Amino acid sequence: MRALSRLCLPLIVAAAWIPAAAAAQDPTKGNAQGDLAVTIYNGGQSLVQDIRQIAFPAGRTRQEFPDVSAQIRPQTVSFAAANTAIVEQNFDYDLLSPNALMQKAVGETVTLLRTNPATGAETRERAKVLAVNGGVVLQIGPRIEILRDDGMPVRVIFDKIPPNLRAKPTLSITLDSDRAGTRPATLSYLTNGLGWAADYVSLYDEKAGTIDVQGWVTLTNNTGTTFDNARTLLVAGSPSGGGAASPRYRPRPQPPGNLRRAGTETAPREQLGDYYLYPLAERTTIANAQTKQVSFLDVSGVPAQKIYEFTVRSFDTMTEPASAASVIKFNTSAKGGGLGDALPAGTVRFYQRDLRGDPQFIGENQIGHTPMGSELGLATGQAFDVKVQATVVERERVSPRVTRSSMRYTLTNARAQPVTLDLLQRGLDWYWDETRIVAESHKSERLDSDGTRWRVELPANGEATITATFETRH
Amino acid sequence: MMRRWPLLLTMLAASPAAAQPAVTSLAPEKVSVSVFRDPDRDEGGEISPDWLEGFALISETRTIDLPAGEATVRFEGVAEGMIAVSAIVTGLPGGVVQKNRDAALLSPASLLDGSLGNRVHIRRTSHATGRITEEEAIIRSGPAGAVVLQTAAGYESLRCTGIPETIVYGGVPPGLTAKPTLSVTTRSPAATRATVTLTYLSTGFDWASHYVARVREDGRTLDLFAWLTVANSNGESFADAGLAAIAGTLNQVSDFEELADRPRTPPLHLRCFPIGSGRYGVPLSPPPPPAPPSFAMEDGMENIVVTGSRMQRAEMMSPVAVVASQEDLGDLKLYRVPIPVTVAANAQKQVALLVKDRVPFRTIYRMRLDLGDEGKAMMPEMLLRMHNKQADGLGLPLPSGQAVAFERVGDRQLLVGEGAMRDHAVGEKVDLVIGESSQVRIDVENHVPPKNGRRDYRVTVTNANARAADVEIGFLIDDHDGLDSRIRKLPRRDGLLSWSVRVPANGSKTFDYSVKAADQAR
Repeated sequence: MRALSRLCLPLIVAAAWIPAAAAAQDPTKGNAQGDLAVTIYNGGQSLVQDIRQIAFPAGRTRQEFPDVSAQIRPQTVSFAAANTAIVEQNFDYDLLSPNALMQKAVGETVTLLRTNPATGAETRERAKVLAVNGGVVLQIGPRIEILRDDGMPVRVIFDKIPPNLRAKPTLSITLDSDRAGTRPATLSYLTNGLGWAADYVSLYDEKAGTIDVQGWVTLTNNTGTTFDNARTLLVAGSPSGGGAASPRYRPRPQPPGNLRRAGTETAPREQLGDYYLYPLAERTTIANAQTKQVSFLDVSGVPAQKIYEFTVRSFDTMTEPASAASVIKFNTSAKGGGLGDALPAGTVRFYQRDLRGDPQFIGENQIGHTPMGSELGLATGQAFDVKVQATVVERERVSPRVTRSSMRYTLTNARAQPVTLDLLQRGLDWYWDETRIVAESHKSERLDSDGTRWRVELPANGEATITATFETRH
Repeated sequence: MMRRWPLLLTMLAASPAAAQPAVTSLAPEKVSVSVFRDPDRDEGGEISPDWLEGFALISETRTIDLPAGEATVRFEGVAEGMIAVSAIVTGLPGGVVQKNRDAALLSPASLLDGSLGNRVHIRRTSHATGRITEEEAIIRSGPAGAVVLQTAAGYESLRCTGIPETIVYGGVPPGLTAKPTLSVTTRSPAATRATVTLTYLSTGFDWASHYVARVREDGRTLDLFAWLTVANSNGESFADAGLAAIAGTLNQVSDFEELADRPRTPPLHLRCFPIGSGRYGVPLSPPPPPAPPSFAMEDGMENIVVTGSRMQRAEMMSPVAVVASQEDLGDLKLYRVPIPVTVAANAQKQVALLVKDRVPFRTIYRMRLDLGDEGKAMMPEMLLRMHNKQADGLGLPLPSGQAVAFERVGDRQLLVGEGAMRDHAVGEKVDLVIGESSQVRIDVENHVPPKNGRRDYRVTVTNANARAADVEIGFLIDDHDGLDSRIRKLPRRDGLLSWSVRVPANGSKTFDYSVKAADQAR
């Protein structure tokens, strides 16, 4: 070991050597980004505006733009600078690698530095690359040789890097400049990989019947590029002409959705067309692979009401009772008793305090872009203690085309508080069947052609039974 | 082989220029963990310790010394499965300006990528003499297609030479971290010591309940006991934590695994120009395996420690000292372990969930038949029926879980059956299915030739046991047309017209009914 470590001692550091100076906007220099403004849409698409100070010479020049997003959509690039005219715009992605370097060196001369494995002595010679086809064929003086066919160590030193081989995909613009001088140039483009959504923290107080809502915008950057010190604007919307799907077949009606009634109020926020804008208060750096959250909403004491919902989708017998959904309802109106803002799409996480007063997670749900004044009903989970069991008591044909079904619904509440349960029977209008209620123990409210609803107050630790007779015409 | 670095290669060279003071909080002083079951697991399903798909809400109390003005607080010692977007930080006097989760990870590939255009050193070792040479170089290529370096001699590629060589970096590029890190930016009015609470959801947890029903010698009551089994597959341990488990079904819309996922770090593949007679590159080292998923077994994971000694109930068993207390949390049920416990990394823990002795029960043999089903010596389900009411010896919420039943034979407790149980609220009937019977059999025959579209069926139940058997046969009926009065007049049980009969010991019972085919019934 001792001998070996002595051998390691001669440590040579060639520190005096300094590389040649590179071009004006060299990708190898620090960050070349200028004054950045980033507008982020919901769909993972963003608009970047980058104002750089560029020293233009007079006449035709080619400008490279390093440090643009690695997921830039080059066809969306636009460029503006005073006294310049664009000749062409290029996006080059011929990447530099040892193999590419060797391929481009065909016909060129390179330096070989051989090391003698026994003595460590180095010998240097010039070689011409004849071909790179599954192996490198070299001409060294009069000899033809295959590179490292004997497995011996050889350093291949290239004289230069061909100009079109780049470390990273590079955007360049060739332009004519009327005059020389440094002036701002605006580069703007769309990029993928940068998107945002909202995350809501909602603390539900069951006794007071209120929720406290905090809204956070969550922006995620997977572009591979850091955006330094950018003015950031979030747009609640994803502009893309996806087009609404036309209901070709009659869709089976779903249980009540999250948006119960769309609002008709306008929130006091800046708008772009139909989208609300959420500017971040100050410039921020959006680092690569970063998830950033900034608060945009903090409202407390919004009245909220819990209701239980159960949807029976067809006329069938359930052999076991099933839990009703517990739904928290609130509205986003600014006029008394509402949250008072438009809500961008995102995830709402509900919390409730346990007996010790610590907040506990009680479930989450999703909302779409919600106008102010809307009514939301968000299911947080299935109630352990509130259950429904439906039974077909009798089903008979009264005539060849008419069937009569007698249903019984048993509703149970094991909670120590009375609850309100909305029981929905669906399947009343399915293709050419039509169903009407002949008799019912409680008055129901027909919601639409397909469904009817009973609103039942269940006493604490109590139960209720609803019976109804349906007549279906086929 | 110790060597000392020249001073110029200190880590300071490329350390990020910090714009604002950073405060690092290493560990919490107090922590509580509330574990949620995998919402997609079947009722009564088991947890698999190496694939935990539940989650937990972790609440940590930390003390932080804050400088006046803007500062970044970095939280370390959090669970690996942290879902950063769910993090809530309270108690900062200046509030939260922004929360960041930085996940640009330090790896061979990101080190190379971040050093593009920077000056590094290339170190070569001679095979023959062991002599080490170093020279300065500039990295000219990105990590995608291996490394091209600019040296004093010209342009060269790394690891294509056959000489042992490597890049020595002068420092870590800014913004790269070892693990995804949560930090918050705050603006304090004055320098202060603050107690903050960090609350977040984390993957890599799960819990289940396991019921043990021991039938007493009277054959009419049983001792019901349930374990609360909590598992943690995170690398972090939570010492002296307040532990709670939440039963019930809550809504989950976001993909927690995806939100908590460590970002994939691309491995660095060094590829060269063709060498020799047609081999691309030199596979000097085998390519690193793809990053293991976060749930993968780690060393020592096999050694699952089951703490909490197994306690036995009924006559021959020690009593249970600690039983979880239950409270309502909205429409969920919260079970709290009354003492602080340690939720260890890669470990499973059991405490008593509930204990209820002398619960009256009945054994029921149950079968469900479609109209016109025929069969010979069919085996009915065997179930233990209890009523979840205080008056009937129970009367407490029963969260879903696995169940085993033991019966005493001589001086030994023997397993008689195993099943699964759904969530049962107070007041519900509990039917715990524990298996099938081969002693009680059911025949259904179409026993006479059909006449005018009418089919006659006979159900025969035979009992080979020396004790009477309570049998329930439920008919799965959609249409009531064509049923005769014998079946129409049956009472309903579980929503089905059911024939309930007590079959005497070593005896049999029959039930006859007839059905008219639907088209003739009109």
